[in-house]
Amino acid sequence: MTLHTALVKIEEEKISSEKAKKFIASEKNGAESIFVGKVRNENNGKKVIAVTYDAHDQAVIKSFQLICTNALNKFDKNAKIFLEHAKGYASVGEVSILIGVGSGHRDEAFKICRYILEEVKHQSPIWKKEHYADGKEEWLPGHSLRPKKEVK
Amino acid sequence: MEIQLKLYGSSKILSEKETLDIQLPNNSDIKKLRDILTKIISEKYSRSDLENLPKTAAFFSEKDEVIDDSYKLSNKEYISIIPPIGGG
Repeated sequence: MTLHTALVKIEEEKISSEKAKKFIASEKNGAESIFVGKVRNENNGKKVIAVTYDAHDQAVIKSFQLICTNALNKFDKNAKIFLEHAKGYASVGEVSILIGVGSGHRDEAFKICRYILEEVKHQSPIWKKEHYADGKEEWLPGHSLRPKKEVK
Repeated sequence: MEIQLKLYGSSKILSEKETLDIQLPNNSDIKKLRDILTKIISEKYSRSDLENLPKTAAFFSEKDEVIDDSYKLSNKEYISIIPPIGGG
């Protein structure tokens, strides 16, 4: 199998780089690239304690598969790709997204990793609500999926 | 007619429940739904973070596909509101 994509209910299961390494392992790989995104403790001067990730599950999985297939077609048809994203309440330090790529060469491995990250941010219906140390919380602004022709 | 709007992200502020029932005139389209949402938000919520939602949100059909402003809604239809996204 070339692709693994999943939304992980973070309160029930952790996203593991070991699992990603096992999935992408191959003797054909000259390069393995792992990107780990984490919940950080600060944003715009506010002390963050956690983030809640909301997601439209079916549409997210569809978008993950499309993005990864496009990445294979664009950069390396023989690459192996692992992509998991958190859903639910994730405390500071927890993994929010993990992308693992095994490829014949380093350039493709780096490029696929970066491509997937940027496309997920712009295509996958996932939302972040930050929880702050002062007890307040806020949904973060993002990228509109409204058809461009309609936006004036 | 009435539709059920499944709420995601910042739109969850609109209800304690997962969905919001919205009354619309017969033969309404997504554009009409945006107008009604603007009215609901201005009447019930004095939150600046929701003001732009009807303008910036996309809507998904039950097939999880983006539907445009001319899409005609049916009575009891179940659609999703997709506020601007930002995972990762």
